Amino acid sequence: MYELMIGNYAIARGLVEAGVQIAAAYPGTPSSEILPGILEFSKRDNIKIYCEWSVNERVAFEVAFGAAMYGKNAACMMKQVGLNVAFPSFLESIEKELSGGLVVVSCDDPGPQSSQTEQDTRMLCSLIGVTVFDPSSPREAADVAYYALRLSRKIKKPVVIRPTHRVSHSREKVQIFDQGKRKVKLSEGLVNKGKTTNFGVVSSGMSFCLAMDVLQELGLKEKIPVFKVLRANPLDEKAFEFVTQIEKILVLEETDAVVEAKLGFNGKVYGRLNGFLPGAGELTYDIVRNAIIEMCRLVNIEVPFKDDTKFEEVAKEIGVASRPPKLCSGCPHRACFYAMKQAYPDALFPGDIGCYTLGIPLGAVDAFIDMGGSVNMASGFYDAFSKEGKSVAILASVGDSTFFHACLPAIYDAAKKNKKFILIIMDNNTTAMTGMQPTPQSGITASGEKTRSVTLEATLSALGIPNVKVVDPYEIPFLIQQIKDSYSALPKNKGPSVIISRRECVLQTKAKWEKNIPLEQYCTGCRKCIRNFNCPSLEFDELKKRVRINWDLCVRCGNCLFVCPEVSKSERKIES
Amino acid sequence: MKKFFNSIQILCAGIGGRGVLLASTLLMDSAIRKDVYAIGSDEYGMSQRGGSVVSLVKVGKVKSPFIGKGNADIILGFEESEFLRNLSYLKIGGIAVVNSPKETYESKVKEALNKRKISVYTLDADGIAREGGLYQASNMAILGFFSSLNIEPFTYENLKGAILERLKGKMVEKNLLVFERGFELGREIVQCMNL
Repeated sequence: MYELMIGNYAIARGLVEAGVQIAAAYPGTPSSEILPGILEFSKRDNIKIYCEWSVNERVAFEVAFGAAMYGKNAACMMKQVGLNVAFPSFLESIEKELSGGLVVVSCDDPGPQSSQTEQDTRMLCSLIGVTVFDPSSPREAADVAYYALRLSRKIKKPVVIRPTHRVSHSREKVQIFDQGKRKVKLSEGLVNKGKTTNFGVVSSGMSFCLAMDVLQELGLKEKIPVFKVLRANPLDEKAFEFVTQIEKILVLEETDAVVEAKLGFNGKVYGRLNGFLPGAGELTYDIVRNAIIEMCRLVNIEVPFKDDTKFEEVAKEIGVASRPPKLCSGCPHRACFYAMKQAYPDALFPGDIGCYTLGIPLGAVDAFIDMGGSVNMASGFYDAFSKEGKSVAILASVGDSTFFHACLPAIYDAAKKNKKFILIIMDNNTTAMTGMQPTPQSGITASGEKTRSVTLEATLSALGIPNVKVVDPYEIPFLIQQIKDSYSALPKNKGPSVIISRRECVLQTKAKWEKNIPLEQYCTGCRKCIRNFNCPSLEFDELKKRVRINWDLCVRCGNCLFVCPEVSKSERKIES
Repeated sequence: MKKFFNSIQILCAGIGGRGVLLASTLLMDSAIRKDVYAIGSDEYGMSQRGGSVVSLVKVGKVKSPFIGKGNADIILGFEESEFLRNLSYLKIGGIAVVNSPKETYESKVKEALNKRKISVYTLDADGIAREGGLYQASNMAILGFFSSLNIEPFTYENLKGAILERLKGKMVEKNLLVFERGFELGREIVQCMNL
């Protein structure tokens, strides 16, 4: 039986067939669909597998590690920067002997498409000596996942799978087997025998499939040999043998130069390290095609390809305005950011990682570094300014899931050390960016069953935060006033003031209102709403020089009425 | 069934959260229904929040889901500006089906398209979807229109079958209605062009 599925589901399938018993994860693009995949297959095949969304990656790793120590088949899933959060225990775990099996799936994000930075999990694994596989397609990812869990049991050490987002989110027909019955096909070595010895390709992961497509297009498949790497660490000795037999080698891999660095061979190996390929970013079709053509020129292999740069120039001239992502229509975060900016336009705005990083174009996030960085940066800013005797408004923002993930020690410390800033927790009761996974507060488990809810209020109170207010961000004037009040209270406060800006995610509730939105009637064409509110439903009609509402997108929250300077106060009504 | 040449490469360009992913999945489904190998790649995460997204679908003798500049046989433009943004991926003689209320382009664009012998079909997919009572289903209007071009394996029967298989409940009817309307419009236009 076959099924069309994304790479992340293929990994889930492989793990389920290999007999995974305990799975823990923290959501993060591009890894978020693996745990839901395991849940779905366990239901479908009627196999009991314990699955949890852990509060962060370190918890996920240690839960899985504990289970594996005891003899269970365990797996944990995260994105590449999530592995940093789990790093202390991950590093230590390789010294221990497992009596079960442990697979760590760490999904890399070349580009990056949806991360603050690129990072190569294969590099980390190579540095500390962990076995890591780099699957090239969803099909192979399923086989690798199955094989990795068995291998881990055998060698009694954790085994890592590193798919890139193009593997995680590619779709392909994947074969389904019964538990324990998967026929694993792993492909590594000289998979494309070419006649020439002048030039060969070493490729790892999705870059292998890319290279094969390019060679096919250029009619070079019979000519150029291609060595495929599947296990990036430890690297197969045959890779070195291959390199010694060939005059010039092009290494294609993502994201960092890991295989390239291991191969060494200064002067004959071309790739990211010697500047032949870009030092960072995704390897696109065009980059790989150009690189292969250029290599062929170096060794006098004729390529019948003509670059169509003229058309590219024409296409560039057509010039379309870039379309960056925006918070959704009706997003409570937007209302909150607007209130923050209105209350203290010149404040410092340390922000965090999630949908609300999109507070940048609203001018209400001006610094972010990592999960939980908002609170600590706010503390640092306060120290820096107070040392100079300056008083400045510091408005930090963080989402509810990220707050539980990384801010508990930070806010406790800030309170204990009497740091004066305002922290706004944007509580939409879910992990929206990655696909609505539950938080400790939402009171549901990974499989959707009811469980105990740990509220933000109870947590903050236990951590000794004195001044906590809860406000509905749709009540914009009230929220502005609350921010001002919280700021005025700071001198007498012990530590930071916290405002919980609470309203459920509109994407999750699919909320729509029946409200009348007379914005267009008042419009004078000042564009303040577009500039300061940046709602996807607000469009500017260049002919009429007026703002127009896209009623197909608009959820009629009415928040834009607070932004328009022309709308009378009586029109600005709040309905919950 | 018409014998395949090596491959068909389709670039689906649109905006996050408006059904590009479903459309690309249905394209793959219809290939698989005919036992043709298919691989696709979608964008998740931040870009899903209303940013530019591209879904790639390749069928036939291919290994990766990547499409190079000048290699796409077909662009499905779920949003006009996103079609223009990705124009350089379309091959000479390529086909584009674009969601746009207007029928012609400014001379600069027209000239570029003519020079490359690109056939562009425009349709007001948003309008069709709105009439069908499901604004979000403009992707179905595009697919319906595209199916009228009768390019194996993305034929009307195949795509319709894929929709029936993949979608569930109340949504099937409305989606299918919009798909049919797109198909009918396409058939009319293609007939006119052939006269």
